[in-house]
Amino acid sequence: MYDFKGFTLDWYKELFQDTRLLIIVLNTIVVALLAALISTMIGVLGALAIHMARKRNTKNALLSLNNVLIVSPDVIIGASFLILFTMAGIKLGFYSVLLSHIAFCIPIVVLMVLPKLSEMSPSLIDAARDLGASGWDVFSKVIIPYISPGIFAGFFMALTYSFDDFAVTFFVTGNGFSTLSVEIYSLARRGISLHINALSALLFLFTMLLVVVYYFISKRNKPNGMGVGK
Amino acid sequence: MENVPIIQFKHVTKLYDNDPPVLKDVSFEIERGKFYTLLGPSGCGKTTILRLIAGFTEASEGEILFNGNKINHVPANKRQVNTVFQDYALFPHLNVFENVAFGLRIKKMKAPAIESKVKEALNFVNLQGYENREIREMSGGQRQRVAIARAIVNEPEVILLDEPLSALDLKLRTEMQYELRELQRRLGITFIFVTHDQEEALAMSDEIFVLNKGKIQQSGTPIDIYDEPINQFVADFIGESNIVKGKMIEDYLVEFVGRQFECVDQGLDKNEPVEIVIRPEDLEITSTEHGKLKVKVDSLLFRGVHYEISCYDQDGNEWLVHSTKKAAVGTEIGLHFDPEAIHVMRLGETEEEFDRRLEAYADVDNDGE
Amino acid sequence: MENKLTRSLYAVPYLLWIILFVVAPILLVLYYSFFNIEGQLSLSNYEKFFTPVYLKMIFSSFWYAFLITAISLAVAYPAAYLLTKTTHKQLWLLLIITPSWINLLLKAYAFLGIFGTYGAANNFLEMVGIGSKQILFTDFSFVFVSVYIFIPFMILPIFNSLNDLNPTLLDAANDLGASRWTTFRRVIFPLTIDGVKSGCQVVFIPALSLFMLTRLIAGNRVITLGTAIEQHFLVTEDWGMGSMISVFLMITMVLIMMLTGSRKRGA
Repeated sequence: MYDFKGFTLDWYKELFQDTRLLIIVLNTIVVALLAALISTMIGVLGALAIHMARKRNTKNALLSLNNVLIVSPDVIIGASFLILFTMAGIKLGFYSVLLSHIAFCIPIVVLMVLPKLSEMSPSLIDAARDLGASGWDVFSKVIIPYISPGIFAGFFMALTYSFDDFAVTFFVTGNGFSTLSVEIYSLARRGISLHINALSALLFLFTMLLVVVYYFISKRNKPNGMGVGK
Repeated sequence: MENVPIIQFKHVTKLYDNDPPVLKDVSFEIERGKFYTLLGPSGCGKTTILRLIAGFTEASEGEILFNGNKINHVPANKRQVNTVFQDYALFPHLNVFENVAFGLRIKKMKAPAIESKVKEALNFVNLQGYENREIREMSGGQRQRVAIARAIVNEPEVILLDEPLSALDLKLRTEMQYELRELQRRLGITFIFVTHDQEEALAMSDEIFVLNKGKIQQSGTPIDIYDEPINQFVADFIGESNIVKGKMIEDYLVEFVGRQFECVDQGLDKNEPVEIVIRPEDLEITSTEHGKLKVKVDSLLFRGVHYEISCYDQDGNEWLVHSTKKAAVGTEIGLHFDPEAIHVMRLGETEEEFDRRLEAYADVDNDGE
Repeated sequence: MENKLTRSLYAVPYLLWIILFVVAPILLVLYYSFFNIEGQLSLSNYEKFFTPVYLKMIFSSFWYAFLITAISLAVAYPAAYLLTKTTHKQLWLLLIITPSWINLLLKAYAFLGIFGTYGAANNFLEMVGIGSKQILFTDFSFVFVSVYIFIPFMILPIFNSLNDLNPTLLDAANDLGASRWTTFRRVIFPLTIDGVKSGCQVVFIPALSLFMLTRLIAGNRVITLGTAIEQHFLVTEDWGMGSMISVFLMITMVLIMMLTGSRKRGA
């Protein structure tokens, strides 16, 4: 854009020589992976809890509570988590960011897994019990394999959300710790620079990669996968 | 021990929350090696009985015995019964072999034993060579067979079938009726079959339990139930029937539509009000002079094997006739029937009273000979 | 029974999450809204809230959110309608949705480039002969970029409800003598109103709470509720007032959701 003189990889070279930036990229990836992993585990259990709830009111109440973080504006989530961490005496930094990301990813995983659970015919569980399966057998041999597409979709959704998040992280990140999006924001507030251009391209590619993976998972997810097994 | 019924229900009641009970004080016995059918309209409690036997739900009151032992609180995975589900409930993430092998794997059986048992079970249901197919590649009838194989491979003493044929088309359904009956004979184990289709029940069963509103209305062989329905519900539900109000004048003489007819029933009180059942196929069309009843033809439907003719007598009772003869709409015709065709039902008679009365006839008949 | 114990045990992490990260934060925000900047318990935040400065800010925030929602709807409805008429509608939909997957920050950043003094927009204006203008840091740029960002979220629910519409209903309306306009007004629109409602819901609430865009694109000229919250929490460190505005935003959100979500199905 400014003094365009042809394509060059120099900016990327500079990017990777900058250890500070490298650490930020690593931070972002580590937080996203951990957050996605942990939130998937808790989210699957949560979806099960909601699915198994006997009373309609309990189910609805759990679902509403689940969706609070999805419909709430990011600023409110960020601000309220900031208060929470300060009150709890958790130092702002890696752990506060990780905890926040886990927290806002859980409901997403729940929403991705829940449809798979409700799509599952209840007689499938009866059938497994009928064939002698214990509670654990039913969980590990029937429920988990059945909802695994939902679990994968949830995991990648969580990964994408964590990766993409700016607003919540911005509130709870403190001074010493930064992620890609927060870094881009603070750079962008100072104006355009080719440095951010390279950084943005990186973030963009990561996100697109995740989206493509997610797309293929959700495509395989479609109930009557006619394409396979000819 | 062979004489102990394999399953016994003693005064079993089942309630969900505060709704009216699904089963009300139900008692019955299931004998070894027979084909039983639980027949009734939807919501009559037949599936609940099945779920109680399988252990998917617990009785609110009463006892359920298996081989003489109380099993009320035994969980489903510890019971000696296996179920074929209405929607088959095949595991979509497993192929045919693994579906059938599921129960054996849970029992931690050795791989070679599993292999041969699954093969044997699949042979039994004519699915040899389908081991590696995915469930979604199987047709409805084939899925049905996989579900049966998955149940029989565990060698249960009782197999429960929850309307397993309802999703199949008519032709396939008839075919499967034969096959199921044949399968039960070869295996020699008890089948408990749930259906709302009375033809299916009549064709397949050794014993039928007719259920309505959470109670067993009548139990017996298909022929008993068809010929001697205990009440209006059973008469209506099993086959088609003409039911009119009448009065028992004395033994072997009954009055309805203002006339007296010879019949074969006895042992009722004099002048007792009763209901009369005559099956449409037992009515014969004749001229008005020869007929025991004079009726006017209201409508006529061609049903393939016969005509279904709807007529009205002078009291306004409808008479349904199945006949291979045609009758012109609007004309007066006579209806003839044999004394044996008249079936007399006492109002509000329980199954025990009914059985006692039938036994009494038998005694009288025996004395007479 | 062992069943009951395991049943409650496996749900523990999830329930803990609900308590710690859903219920507790809301209560904490509510609690903090009763503290003034000196950390004393008082209602001063609520009093301050009704001073002209804050009322003006709230009014302008609502006004911008309304503008953004209205423009998005005006563009999205016809677009969604046209989409349902195309042959490869799923592909087109994917193309329209794709931008929503890209980080908001990146999109904002891209506009910094496009609208900048030497950006593509000004190059174009130069070429047409209007001459370069200050586009960045104006109300226009803020509304434009916001609409651009929110349009996919508006199109998606409307597209879905239009797509679910049984086409024989339109034939039926035609058959009964309705003109195209009458069909739209009396049949199509009432049947897709739920899509419109949830579209408005998913645009209006975030539009109220934007803060990054206002900083980057509007250059602090526009102050939304979100910007105000961020300002109070991170700049002036008046958490009490920030919490007070958050409480107000939450109440607004609930009201809007009740208003737009009369149906059982969620957005």
